[in-house]
Amino acid sequence: MKPDLHVLGPILALVALILVGAAMNSNFLSAANVTNVLSRSAFIGIIAVGMTFVITAGGLDLSVGSMAAFIAGLMILVMNGLLPTMGPGWPLVGVGVGAAIVAGLIAGFLNGFLVTTMRIEAFIVTLGTMGIYRSLVTWLADGGTLSLDFGMRTVIRPIYYDGILGISWPIIVFALVAVLGEIVMRRGAFGRHAAAVGSNDQVARYSSVDVNRVRMLTYVFLGLLVGIATIMYVPRLGSASSSTGVLWELEAIAAVIIGGTMLKGGFGRIWGTVIGVLILSLIDNILNLTDGVSPYLNGAIQGVIIILAVILQRERKAGG
Amino acid sequence: MKHLTTTLLGAALATATALPAFAQETQVIGVSIPAATHGWAGGMNFHAQEAIDRLEEVYPELDFVLATASDPSKQVNDIEDMLATRNISALVVLPFESEPLTGPVKAVADSGAWVTVVDRGLAQEGIEDLYVAGDNSGFGRVSGEYMTGALPDGGQIVALRGIPTTIDNERVEGFEQAIEGSGIEIIDMEHGNWNRDDSFTVMQDFLSKHDRIDAVWASDDDMAVGVLAAIEAAGRDDVQFVLGGAGMKEMIARTRDGDPMIPANVTYPPAMIATAIELTAVGLTSSAPVSGTFTIGSVLVTQENAEDYYFEDSPF
Amino acid sequence: MKLTLSGIDRRFGDVQVLFDVDLVLNPGEVHALIGENGAGKSTTMKIMSGYLAPTAGQVLLDDAPVTFAGSQDAEARGVVLIHQEFNLAEQLTVEQNVFLGHELKRGPFLDKRAMRARTRELLDRLNCQVSLDARVRDISNPDKQMVEIAKALGREARVLVMDEPTAVLTEREAEVLFEQVDRLRAEGVALLFTSHKLDEVKRISDRVTVMRDGRVVAQAATAEMSEDDMATAMVGRDVSSLYPARTRPVGEEVVLSVRGLSVPGHAADVSFDLRRGEILGIAGLIGSGRTETMEGLVGLRTATGRIEMHGREVRFDRPRAALAAGVAYLTEDRKARGLLLAKGMRENLTLQSLSDFTAFLIDERAEDRALDRAIADFDIRAPHRKVEVGNLSGGNQQKLLLAKTMLADPEIVVIDEPTRGIDIGTKQQIYAFIHALVADGKSVIVISSEMQEVIGLADRILVMRQGRVAGELTGDEIGEDRIVRLAMGLDGMRGAAA
Repeated sequence: MKPDLHVLGPILALVALILVGAAMNSNFLSAANVTNVLSRSAFIGIIAVGMTFVITAGGLDLSVGSMAAFIAGLMILVMNGLLPTMGPGWPLVGVGVGAAIVAGLIAGFLNGFLVTTMRIEAFIVTLGTMGIYRSLVTWLADGGTLSLDFGMRTVIRPIYYDGILGISWPIIVFALVAVLGEIVMRRGAFGRHAAAVGSNDQVARYSSVDVNRVRMLTYVFLGLLVGIATIMYVPRLGSASSSTGVLWELEAIAAVIIGGTMLKGGFGRIWGTVIGVLILSLIDNILNLTDGVSPYLNGAIQGVIIILAVILQRERKAGG
Repeated sequence: MKHLTTTLLGAALATATALPAFAQETQVIGVSIPAATHGWAGGMNFHAQEAIDRLEEVYPELDFVLATASDPSKQVNDIEDMLATRNISALVVLPFESEPLTGPVKAVADSGAWVTVVDRGLAQEGIEDLYVAGDNSGFGRVSGEYMTGALPDGGQIVALRGIPTTIDNERVEGFEQAIEGSGIEIIDMEHGNWNRDDSFTVMQDFLSKHDRIDAVWASDDDMAVGVLAAIEAAGRDDVQFVLGGAGMKEMIARTRDGDPMIPANVTYPPAMIATAIELTAVGLTSSAPVSGTFTIGSVLVTQENAEDYYFEDSPF
Repeated sequence: MKLTLSGIDRRFGDVQVLFDVDLVLNPGEVHALIGENGAGKSTTMKIMSGYLAPTAGQVLLDDAPVTFAGSQDAEARGVVLIHQEFNLAEQLTVEQNVFLGHELKRGPFLDKRAMRARTRELLDRLNCQVSLDARVRDISNPDKQMVEIAKALGREARVLVMDEPTAVLTEREAEVLFEQVDRLRAEGVALLFTSHKLDEVKRISDRVTVMRDGRVVAQAATAEMSEDDMATAMVGRDVSSLYPARTRPVGEEVVLSVRGLSVPGHAADVSFDLRRGEILGIAGLIGSGRTETMEGLVGLRTATGRIEMHGREVRFDRPRAALAAGVAYLTEDRKARGLLLAKGMRENLTLQSLSDFTAFLIDERAEDRALDRAIADFDIRAPHRKVEVGNLSGGNQQKLLLAKTMLADPEIVVIDEPTRGIDIGTKQQIYAFIHALVADGKSVIVISSEMQEVIGLADRILVMRQGRVAGELTGDEIGEDRIVRLAMGLDGMRGAAA
């Protein structure tokens, strides 16, 4: 088969960005910078993998940023609360991790329940839960910042900063999630069903696919991944506040779309999403590493690149 | 200047308590402030709520309405609602942004109500009866003066700025003026948006970009948290210290305990909202002269005086 | 105004759907156009009202030839088509709807006063009391019908064409409509309407035109035709050799027994048995609840009633349960419900039976092998294997849909409209395939609006009317005449109750 330019689009954009970055600053390709960029991409990246499934199945989730903030707050509170009885150490970290995962699953289930069983528009449901989680975390933090007890912070720190063979844990987890997601999307019955539901839910229903179950699972899966992303996030600064995770949902959605998944559903690809996430992180990184661009214009440059990436894809699609 | 305020406030309070309630009809004071979207605002919300709770006990004839807004247009709505439905006698407002709030606040003033503006001035002068202001260029100046003192031989520093606003501009200008000619060079400056995550990212990139950084002006304690984490993760020992600001209690504690990375802090007290509410209450219930402008200056906090600026109960 | 169709032909690609149609609408006359589904009524109406152009022949207005540039042009000349589905903006008021797109203006502003006065006048003319400020979504169906007519009259309609105006009306509501039709006739408007209800045709029309297979087969004054004459004219074709002969007799064993199946709002108390190796046909007019009944059976709709397979009660609360028990349903709407048009053949083929191809991951090679088999078995002709299904022809889509359904290896297959919109050659293949199924011991239920298809295929026919079984025909009883009579409620087997 001839190489499909539509497929190559996001890859070319990424390569171009890397070339620009390397030309701008000699430290760009240093191990430290690469590690930084990849690790910080991990939160959005892990979430964006889940978002790809939700969008592929014709849904949307605006609540992930707030959900992450809320889960982070909850995880910190749980660990701080149990610290006097359990003492600082890995068992307590385990409890915190468990709390984050359970909270993520419940939050995802709630979104899914409202969208499927209650038949409310996904946009409205998740806009609602977005506000709910955001104010819950503000309330939990009493308007300020929730900080993990200092003793625990030292224990949990390695989850973000350490790793194996010089590769930090967030990168490893992100890679695992992405690879598993790619396999499920391409070769799993679930991925095929999600695409069918997003493509035409009537056809899926008439083909004996349990449409509600598939939709529900995409939200639950996304909730789980938000929980996992939070587990990576909390050790970094050991705190959560109402400004945690602001606009993560839009970054995740933008990454998904840049990667070639269709916003109206029916087709999704995880590797594209991963590239989309990397493109977004790299733009920030390059702007920080470069002089000469007014920092006031960072948002504009990001916006232009996002729109360009999508336009390029569409033209390639029409042409190819 | 801070002293001036406190003294005057004490006098006013004395007057108020000396003249117990006149059994007048209840007057309503509206308080409109930005929501707690970052640490300083969180502290400000805390102090506002605390002041209201306290004053409602002291002045039974006063009612308080507190509204927090997450954006300027929400704040405009809040103020319009207060005027329309609660018939407020006074408004204490910390404007989200100057321009959009000027009109609505002027409408309140035109209705005959007392207006107290806090921290951020309105776009038009003379609307408010009382202006309780933080001193942003002073904040920058004090920070800059400390920096020149701490790096007498000059050096390379990086700076993190807040969300692009007038406040941020005034601070940065004050800082730049103070370090002028001192041999200190700001080799890089980016917006960290008063946010821990953003400042962490920016600082990581600064560390990749520059091989030697002598000190960091983080300009805010939330941003200082992110900066410190990035420095620690990079394992760099060229950075001598990080100067934050606004007096977050954890940071004050580290200064007090002699942490070499956090040798000082510069105040920008979120409690100014409490001062403003209190002065408004006094103004409304007594004849004490409280109109005019009160500037609450920024003070340098070092290990010696840190204890005085540590507030155990505040969330900030 | 007089509208004349003269020698009209119409083709869609290679398929000719109208042959030499002549029809005259006289002012002050109500003309009924009747015929089976697919006889060419809609196309004829669309040509009259400018929605379609004729391939050959002429449209004349007051004996002068015209060529409509489009429906708007036709409206401007006084010819208006009222669609079966109301074409009203539900959220707007009656008055706003009447002048929608033709608002009266005074300078740059809407002239509300004039529009209100004119709307009132139009509705008064129709003797319709509906409030001008009522939202259209809140008014009754006959009132909506009146608003549609008022809208048409507001455009100075002199020829009014109505596509099944009574399909959505109750008998009493229809009566109200007919009174207004009488008024319009008296005012000299030329009217044409279609209906499946022959009693209505008899009651309201002055002339009748009967169409069959794209031709006018009868045309007479209504007084000269009985309802039976009309029905006979509508049907009456030979069953050609399209349909294969049975190679094996119907079995004795009852594989499926349905008792008292009701689908709220669509069907009530439907009971029937299905034997091994039997083809059961279900006939009835569109809207008689055939599709809904079968969708209720396989769990696509909420339904009540008792279903037994091989004498054991089963419950199909969702399609998967029916499929697991061996009952598959093949939808009538292959584009909207049957196939994912933007996906390839492989994904479509295995969608329903994906679990058979999945251990932990989908076995794409097994899928490809299945596609190879399907292409061979069902003679699917595609330009290449990766083609998007939406780019296949209707016939090939239908074959793919059949292949997809059969991949689940069902014991009972319900096929809704097996050959809608596909060419004769493919039809023949599909009929052969259905016969191969029953020869193999499977049982098939065929729903079809094409009378001949049901007759040609089925061993036994259930005729549905208004959500109920109006009658059952076997052996020699089977004939178009009997089916039409049952479907239209002319015969009183059990339909009289409805």
